[in-house]
Amino acid sequence: MSALWMRQIGAVMRLELKRTAFSKRGWWIYCLAAAPVLISLMHWLMARRLSRNHTVGEDSVVFAAMFVWFFMRGSLFFGTMGLFSNLFRGEMLEKTLHYYFLTPIRRELLVAGKYAAGLAVSLALFIPSVALSFLLLGRHFGPAWTDYLTHGPGLSQLGSYVLVTTLACVGYGAVFLVCGQLTRNPMIAAAVVWVWEGLNPFLPSLLKKVSVVFYLRSLCPVEVPVPPPFSILAVETDPSPFWVAVPGLLTVALILLIYAAVSARQGEISYGE
Amino acid sequence: MAVYKKTYRPYEGALTGPLARLLVIPRYAFEELHRSRFLSVFFLATFLYPLISALIIYVQHNTSALQLLNVQNARGLISINVTFFLSLLGWQSAMSLFLAAFVGPGQISPDLANNGLSLYLARPFSRVEYVLGKMSVLVILISLMTWIPGLLLFLLQGYLEGWSWMADNVRLASGLFFGSWIWIVLVSLLALALSAWVKWKPAAGALMFVLFFVTSAFAATINAVQRTHWGNLASVSYLVGTIWVQLFEGANKTTNGAVFFRSPIGEEIPLGYCWAGLIALVLMCLYMLARKIRGAEVVR
Repeated sequence: MSALWMRQIGAVMRLELKRTAFSKRGWWIYCLAAAPVLISLMHWLMARRLSRNHTVGEDSVVFAAMFVWFFMRGSLFFGTMGLFSNLFRGEMLEKTLHYYFLTPIRRELLVAGKYAAGLAVSLALFIPSVALSFLLLGRHFGPAWTDYLTHGPGLSQLGSYVLVTTLACVGYGAVFLVCGQLTRNPMIAAAVVWVWEGLNPFLPSLLKKVSVVFYLRSLCPVEVPVPPPFSILAVETDPSPFWVAVPGLLTVALILLIYAAVSARQGEISYGE
Repeated sequence: MAVYKKTYRPYEGALTGPLARLLVIPRYAFEELHRSRFLSVFFLATFLYPLISALIIYVQHNTSALQLLNVQNARGLISINVTFFLSLLGWQSAMSLFLAAFVGPGQISPDLANNGLSLYLARPFSRVEYVLGKMSVLVILISLMTWIPGLLLFLLQGYLEGWSWMADNVRLASGLFFGSWIWIVLVSLLALALSAWVKWKPAAGALMFVLFFVTSAFAATINAVQRTHWGNLASVSYLVGTIWVQLFEGANKTTNGAVFFRSPIGEEIPLGYCWAGLIALVLMCLYMLARKIRGAEVVR
């Protein structure tokens, strides 16, 4: 990749960061990222005052449930949807995409620059959110929590959650970038993806593997069972090994990005439609 | 005519009736919706569940049909009771949420984005009428999906089972009707408020899901982390589910809601707080609408 290409990607990324990062429009995404941190903070402050009868292990299971049901199914999914589907569709609505198309830059680089900007913002929002939520949740245990982090499985668990968050941003980001580029209303595509991902625990083993959430859950350090009454419908499947889940997700994201780049190369704008 | 006489003169002819003016908005909105093949197919698909329910009711009362299917003992397999109607309402309401997320955000945001609101309000058409007109689109669609098929099924069951069944289970009909209307008002106002505040339609639609599903996850997280049940106050589906169960069964609870609208046993919060939560949400939506639906906007 030539230096010119890198400079062009960097330029697109800088422009997109100015437009996307910390804009007023994305307030709800910031709320999604801040909400779990507030809950953990509240837990820390309240548990310090009132003596609660629970253990470090229980709190780590609670965080695992929070991560699966709130982060993965909620804030990461909708947050990346808001960020990435807006990259192309937002410009179509504002009728500004043709400015990019008129510049002497390859469309593939435009896609890469926009994706990199979206990824940077999503990682900057959600990795601190996950890390802070994890670290604050057990803070009230004091030295026991420090011991859990330094000598126990704490840091390794935190690393796994950060890895899953990163992969979620990469995977969902690629999915929603394509959705925003190809569909007039990315909501419809997002709703389909959301329902499909939600049905994942109940699908047969083969179909489970055609999703992002299956690989993400395989990488989570603590297993979270499906809550009743839906648990009777859940289908047990062996989790995907690390060496399949990580490269698999990255490959899927790469394929989607290549598809987005090819579509951008062949794309024509008609704001009137 | 002399030039000096060409000044503004208000229209002095006869006006159309207020209701006719109100119905202009849904008329055009339905025309637009009809053009979307996806929405038309989705809307038709939402009648599948009531249709299957009607078939179940019919087959249960038709001995020859049961004999033909060789399932004479199947009569007791599916009971036509509170769970049956609550599930119908729950499923149809969940579908209506999807419909509202697709249809709702397109109601107000284009008018605001293109400065078209003044064109409405320059006519004999108040802000309230504008909101009611826009709301009527969702009200009509969601009514067709929830309480209308629900009551038709209730009547079918009553007709086949007998008058005494209807008299004994009149609470189901009232629960269906009022429960649906609570949902209709809530979803419609939410969709319009988000449409007014979030100009980008997909983002407004996504926010509908966020408010419904993510708040449930948020509530569950608060409950798990703080070891409490009061987090349920943040869950719209919990609040609606609790009120539905009360409307359907009163104090003698046998179910915990249906589909997404559940209030798990042992995690109850007082009913008054659920009503207060929903009323607060409705008032917030009304405030958001009142702030945005104005003939002129001051741009600083």
